[in-house]
Parts: sequence; structure tokens; C-alpha cells
Amino acid sequence: MRPQLAWRLLAAIAGTGAVTLPIAAARLATARAEDSLSERVAYAVAGYVALVTPAAPGRPGYEPRQLLVTARGLRTLPGWSAPVDVYAVRTPLLAAGGPGLPSATWRDLQRLESPVRLGAGTLVPLKDREAWDVVGAAWVGRRSAPRDRRPVWTGLAVALAALGGVWAVGRGRGLRRVTMATFAAAALVHGGMCAAVVRGAAAWSGDRALRDIRTLIGDAPARLPVVRSRVPLAQLARVVQGTGVTLAEADSAQGTMIRRVETARGPRAVAPIRLGRRRWLSATMVPLEARQGGWTLAALGLALVGVVGVAVAGWGAVAAASPRRLGEIVTAWAFLGPAALHLVVFSFGPMLFAAWLSLHEWDLLDPVRRFVGLRNFAAAAADPLAWVSLRNTLLYTLYVPVTMMLALGVALVLQHHGGLTRLARTVFFMPYVASVVAVALVWQWMLSPDFGLVNWVLGAVGVPAVDWLGDPHTALLAVMVISTWVQLGYQTTIFVAGLQNIPQVYHDAARVDGANAWQRFWRVTLPLLRPVTLFVLVTGVIGSFQVFTYIYVLTDGGPLHATDVIVYRIYQTAWEFLQFGHASALALALFVILLGVTWVQFRLLGRRVEYG
Amino acid sequence: MAAVTLERLTKRYDRAPRAALDELSLAVADGEFLVLLGPSGCGKTTALRCVAGLEEPTAGTIRIGAREVTRLAPGARDVAMVFQNYALYPHLAVRHNLSFALEMRRVPRPEITRRVADVAARLGLTELLDRRPGELSGGQRQRVALGRAMVRNPAVFLLDEPLSNLDAQLRGELRAELLALHRSLGATMLYVTHDQVEAMTMGERIAVLHEGRLRQVGAPRDVYERPADTFVARFIGSPGMNIFDAARADGGRGVLIGGSLTVETDVTVDGAFQVGVRPEHVALRARGRGAGQGEGQVRIVEPLGAETLVHLDVGTTRLVARMRGLRAPAVGDRVGVRIDAGDLHVFDGRGVRRA
Repeated sequence: MRPQLAWRLLAAIAGTGAVTLPIAAARLATARAEDSLSERVAYAVAGYVALVTPAAPGRPGYEPRQLLVTARGLRTLPGWSAPVDVYAVRTPLLAAGGPGLPSATWRDLQRLESPVRLGAGTLVPLKDREAWDVVGAAWVGRRSAPRDRRPVWTGLAVALAALGGVWAVGRGRGLRRVTMATFAAAALVHGGMCAAVVRGAAAWSGDRALRDIRTLIGDAPARLPVVRSRVPLAQLARVVQGTGVTLAEADSAQGTMIRRVETARGPRAVAPIRLGRRRWLSATMVPLEARQGGWTLAALGLALVGVVGVAVAGWGAVAAASPRRLGEIVTAWAFLGPAALHLVVFSFGPMLFAAWLSLHEWDLLDPVRRFVGLRNFAAAAADPLAWVSLRNTLLYTLYVPVTMMLALGVALVLQHHGGLTRLARTVFFMPYVASVVAVALVWQWMLSPDFGLVNWVLGAVGVPAVDWLGDPHTALLAVMVISTWVQLGYQTTIFVAGLQNIPQVYHDAARVDGANAWQRFWRVTLPLLRPVTLFVLVTGVIGSFQVFTYIYVLTDGGPLHATDVIVYRIYQTAWEFLQFGHASALALALFVILLGVTWVQFRLLGRRVEYG
Repeated sequence: MAAVTLERLTKRYDRAPRAALDELSLAVADGEFLVLLGPSGCGKTTALRCVAGLEEPTAGTIRIGAREVTRLAPGARDVAMVFQNYALYPHLAVRHNLSFALEMRRVPRPEITRRVADVAARLGLTELLDRRPGELSGGQRQRVALGRAMVRNPAVFLLDEPLSNLDAQLRGELRAELLALHRSLGATMLYVTHDQVEAMTMGERIAVLHEGRLRQVGAPRDVYERPADTFVARFIGSPGMNIFDAARADGGRGVLIGGSLTVETDVTVDGAFQVGVRPEHVALRARGRGAGQGEGQVRIVEPLGAETLVHLDVGTTRLVARMRGLRAPAVGDRVGVRIDAGDLHVFDGRGVRRA
């Protein structure tokens, strides 16, 4: 009975986690959205102060009286709700008599010029009009996002479902299934609700920042030290510096509502700003709710952690009844765990990410990855260079069967000269274990048109010099020869092992049956070697489709794209043209091609061979 | 069909302390079924592989019919071989295992088809022609291996322990089948085995090899009844012959076994000598009934059903007696032991038969 109790306790803890963890995540995200609002508005205030306050004559900083006026004016702006203060150097102007900035904070502001949390708000550096020196600070207090109570209700539902799960621990399998399914569904709804809260808070934070910025920009022209009929946009842009907002002239008013619009570069939040009767601006920013993917995943994931916990508890209660099995399972996972983790993190994870990325447009710098459907694939199919690289890759792959023939020949010779085998294998194998880049560089020298070994030897017998890697007609061939040289030893080793695995008795039988050496090779050796041949062929072809380093070091895909292969194309598309979506689509296409090629190879060669 | 003649055939492997085959001379008559028998390592498989051409003899000659084949390639000797593990080509269906040798010899296609069908029908393989060796049972593989040899119609069949991988019952069945096959084919067959039961039941003649040397050749009955030396005497029979160091009995007539058992016989050998007796020729009597020549104490009793083996201590030595049926003395009983002089085999000090 006691172990059952322990498992139920574990289940109860996990169930509690399923309720509270997503709510906690939502709280954390909301707090961050509130801080981000304070920070944006603080930057806007700093920009506004710099724009509307005249400089102190003859020294850095602002004219002190005017600065005080500006600061006080902030609180009377129409629709202004943020607690705010402006510091002249370290002295607060509005909270008169309040504590000055601690010297450490001031030093950080000066040196790092980055926001600092201070009290219940955020402090950003205030620079002089030339945006040169830090001469003070702007502080904006934190405002609370409107509280959303809906997760409380979904949380209650999850708690009920979790109770069912805890109750089912140690009971029948069917019962556990039903309760777990209910629990999982409730947890997902709860996680989704918490994610919705996060998005709501983010949307509120972004919109609130846009409103405050609109207020500041709308107010600024009237207070400029030098009155002008039409304030240049570039001057006003000072207000939005550091806020993530961009300003643009707008044709006409679309009301005062903040709108969500879809642009070529993704969704945007746009706030119209009225500057006088004829002039409208628009303040545009990436809507914050569009950037909460991580928090959405976190909320859902945390909700499911609880579900997994209860499921494990239920399984554990059953497994604890047969400790040996439990031990075996734990041991198995202990052995599998590291490899599985590695596989997930470094193989499956990136694969899924690439698959996802192939449906999006991303340039590595832009935080928003815009969904474009299958457009990347269409673009890849329409790109002549993609087809050139595919053709080059297919041509390059031909080196694999050629190398296999050579390797099998060498292996057959070595098989009959036992003493030679070890030395020869070592010699042949060395290129395979050598650094790829080193090999490439040595060959680059050997193939050099002017002082390379190859041309020197050819010249000795009267062949004119060839620019092996620089001539579009020979470059790919040269890379293939290098690859053959590298792979020969490896393949030979595999073939020697494969040949030694074929029982001598089949050769004896064939000899008695009257087969000559040639017939024995074709009719006995080669068929019995088929599993090895398949292995070498499949791994070789996959490897050849993935060739990159030699190309990168030797030719950079040139000359005239003569050695432009798929992986090089992927690399260049991603890291040189910064088209990660496009590159991912190419990578996915390569994956599908390889899958198809491998499948065909298995169909052709994969029949099983048993040695009697 | 052809006779096989081996003359002073010798095979030495590098670094081996003794020759695997030491001047083996043997004549196998045309159409004969000759069994090469011996314990493992005796050279019987080496001899067979030399005949097949898979090993090159160090010295000596091999003749098949009138032709000397000592240096010929295996394929040119017109011999077929059945290997211990059958060596069926795993990647080929039964049909192509059977036709392989014919294809190598460029026999016309219709002829191949006819011969394969013929052999398959004879061996009951017709249903299995399209299967691979991996899908066959041990007995079926054995038949295919035989068929592969038969389809070529060779001058000589070489069989290397072909039944040793089968279970006991199947082995019994296939033994009979193989003999029937030999009768109907009338082919010369060289059959290697370490199993003396196989040798006794199948061979027209048995050649017993030991440590690379031929110890005796003869009909099974000769080899059993008149073993040429103590090795053959012990090796043939199950259990083998009882062999004792013997001494002349007091008074000159007869031999003394184990210091207590006297057998009256006229045979005398100068110097040290050994005598042997088959277990079935040792008669046991309850003590005190009838005249025994000596006495023994029962050590072990092995009831086998049709017969019972009784192990005895007789004086300073031990012997095995074979009794019919299941009636036997109990362990520890003292029994009377009697051996007829006519059943006694006499060997000299080197173990060579004298009488």
C-alpha cells in the first residue's frame, strides 16, 4: 500500500504542476511585457526630452530650468498614465527631494548606455541633444496589464482532471488511459489559455507603448526650441529611438485606432498620429503578440510536463509491482538516454526546425519568420542554379561506383597476398582519416596550374599545363579524383573484411563444379558480397550527395558553377544570401532525394543473403 | 564411372609436426562404395580433398580411371563433392544450385533443364526448385547437395561427412537412401566419416586411417572380425574391443588376463603381447553356477534396451561385457567370467595382429 501512496503523491505533485506551472509562465511573461512597456516608453521620454529641451549654453546637457519645465509637462500630457521622472545627472526633477541615483547605477548608465531596473520601473540613459554624452536619465514606472482571470477556471478544470488521474494511479490500464486522455486535454486547453493571456498582455504592452509614443510625438512640435512650420521626420524620429517603432509620413487619417496590418515583411501594428491639420504620420512596430511563440510553447509544454508526470507515476505504480522489470526499463533508458538525447537535439530537432523554416522566410537577423507556404519550394524549383547544382551532384556521385570498382579490385589483390594486406591497408586508409581540409589543401597545391606536381609530371611527358580546378571542364572531375583517392582505402578495408567473411567452402564447391576464377568471382564472390556492396554504395552515395568541404576549400562552387553542388548551394543560400527559408527548402528537397535514392538501392540490392 | 587409385599420397602442411597424409596407397574399384573412416585429424578429409583437387599433395599420385589427375584443376577431374555443410550457394535457388556446374561446363540449355528436372524428380526436390537454401530443412539441403553432385553424372562421388549435421533419425533414413542411390547409379563413391556405424552399414569396404596412415582396408565384416591392429580393434565397434596386456598362464597353455582370468589357447607369442575380446564374447554367469575361468565385480551397468553393457573389474584390469536383453547383475555383484579361446584376438607388443 505504501509505495502506491508514494506514486499517488508524485502524481498529485505533477498534477499541481500542470495547473500552476503554465500560470506561473503566464505571470512571468506578463511581467516581462510590463517591463518592456516601461522600457520603450522610457526611451521615448528620453527622446522627447532631447527633442524639446534647449541645450545649456556653453556646456554639455540641457538648460536646467527648461528641463524642469519639460519634465513637469510630461505629467500633464493628455491621456498620459505612466508614472514618470527625469533625472538631471543623478537628481530626480519631479520627485523633488527624492533619492538621487546610486553612483553604481549612474556609472552603469554612462558606461553601458542600457536600461536599468530601478524601483518599480525602468531607467534609460538621457543623452544630450547631440546624442553624445549621457547627461541624465528618464524613468518610467511599471503599469499593470489588465488581469485576465480565465486561466483560473481552466486551472480548476485541470485540477479536477488531475484528481481523476491521481485516483486512477494503481488501477486498471483502461481507466488510466481514459483519465490520462481527459487530463491531457484539460492541460492543453489550460496551456492554450495561459498562452492567450501571454499574447493579450503582449498586445496590451505594445499598443500602450504606441499610444504613449503617439502622445509624445503629437505634443513635441509645439514645444520645439526652434519653432518650425513643418518639423522634419528625421527630427521627430529621435522620440522613437530604442523603442522598436518606426515613423513614416502617412497620406490621410484612418481614424485613431491602432490597426494590425499584414505587410510584405510580416504583421505590423500601426498607430496614426495627427500632426496639425494636414499632416499625418504613422508609427509602426512589430506587434508584440506576434513574438510570443516561445512563451506559447512554454505554456503548453509546462502543462504537458504535469501530464507526463502523472503518466509516469501511473506507469511507475504498475512497474513497481514487478521491480525487476522496472530495473530493466530504467537501465535500458540509462543506456539509451544519452544517444537519444543527442539524436533529438542534434538530428531530429534541427531537421524539424529546417522543415518548419522551409515554409517561412527568414534572414537570420529579423526576429520575425514570415510564413510563405510552399513559395520557397517554388522558388527553388524555378532557380536554374538549383538544377545546375543537382546535375553537378549527380555527376559527382558517379565517383562512388568508380571507386568501388577500384576498391574491390585492390581488396581482391590484397586477399591473396596476406603479408601485404596490413601495410597496404594502412597506406590506403591514411587519406580517409586525414583532415579533410588538409587533404584539400595538399591537392590544391598538387593541382595548381603553375607549380603543381600533377602538371609538372604531365609536362615531363609533353602534356600542356591544365588549370585543373580553374577550368570548368575539369574542376568537377578533379574533385571526383580527390574523393576517389580519399575513399579508396576505406572502401578497400570494408571489402577486404567482406571477402574474408565469405566461407571458403563456397569457393571450393564452385571449383569442384568447374567454375574458373572469373566465373567464381561473378557467380559466387560478387553475389555473396552483396550486403557489403550495398553498405558501401548507400553510405557512399549519401556521402557524395552531402559533399561540401572539398568544394568549399578547393573551388567555392566555381568556376562558373561547374562544381556547384547541392549542399554548397544550401550553404551559400543560407549563410551568404541569408535566405534561410529558401535554403531549408533545398535541404528538405535533398533529404527527399536521398530517401528516394536509398530506397531504390535497397530494392535493387537489398535481398538478404544467408551463409548456409 | 571409374576406379580411383592413390599411390603413396603424402600431404604435409607448413609447420605441422607430422604429415597429414603419410604415403597413403589405396585402390577404389569402379562402382565401389568405399568408406574412409577415422577419428578427427586422421587425414581422411585431406585425402578426399586431394582427390577433389582442392588440396595439392606434397608427393604421390592420384589416378581416376586410367588418367593421372594429381595436378589437374578440380573442375577438370570429373569428380563431384558433397560437403559436410553442403555448401549450397545461398544466393541461388535450388534449381540454379543444381544447374550451376552444368552452366559452368556450357551444357546446352535444354539439356540442363532436362537433367535438373530428372534429378529433382529422383530426389523428391521438384516442389523445392524455386526455394533458396535458407528456406530448406537440413534433410532437404542434404538432398540438394546430393542432387548437385548427381546432375553432373561424374566419374567419382566424394562425400565428406554428409550426414553428420543431421539428427539421428534423419541420418538413419538418409543412410538407406544413399545406399539405394549408390546401387541405382552404380557410381564410384568415396565416403568420409568418423562414425563407425555409418562405415559398417554403408561401406562395401572400409579404409581405416589414423594419424595420416592407412591402418586397414577391408570389408566391414573383416575389419570387425579381424582388426589389423589394436587401434582398429578399439575404434570399430561400440563399445570397442576390450584389450589387455596379457601374460602366459602358469603351465604354458593359455593366457592370464588381469592376473586372475585364464583363457586356454594354443596361440603363443614371444615377448610382451596383448589380447582382445569383443564385449559380446564375454559371458557372465552368476557365481558358483557352471565353470567360470575367473571372477569379476560389477562396476557399472548400462541398460540399452535390446542389450545391456556391464563394466567389470577383473583382477587388476577392467572389461566390458555385452548381455542380451535387460537382465543383468547388479552393481557390486561378483560374477563368473568366461571367454572362449576362439574369440580371443592376439596382438604383439606393437599392437599388430598375430591371431
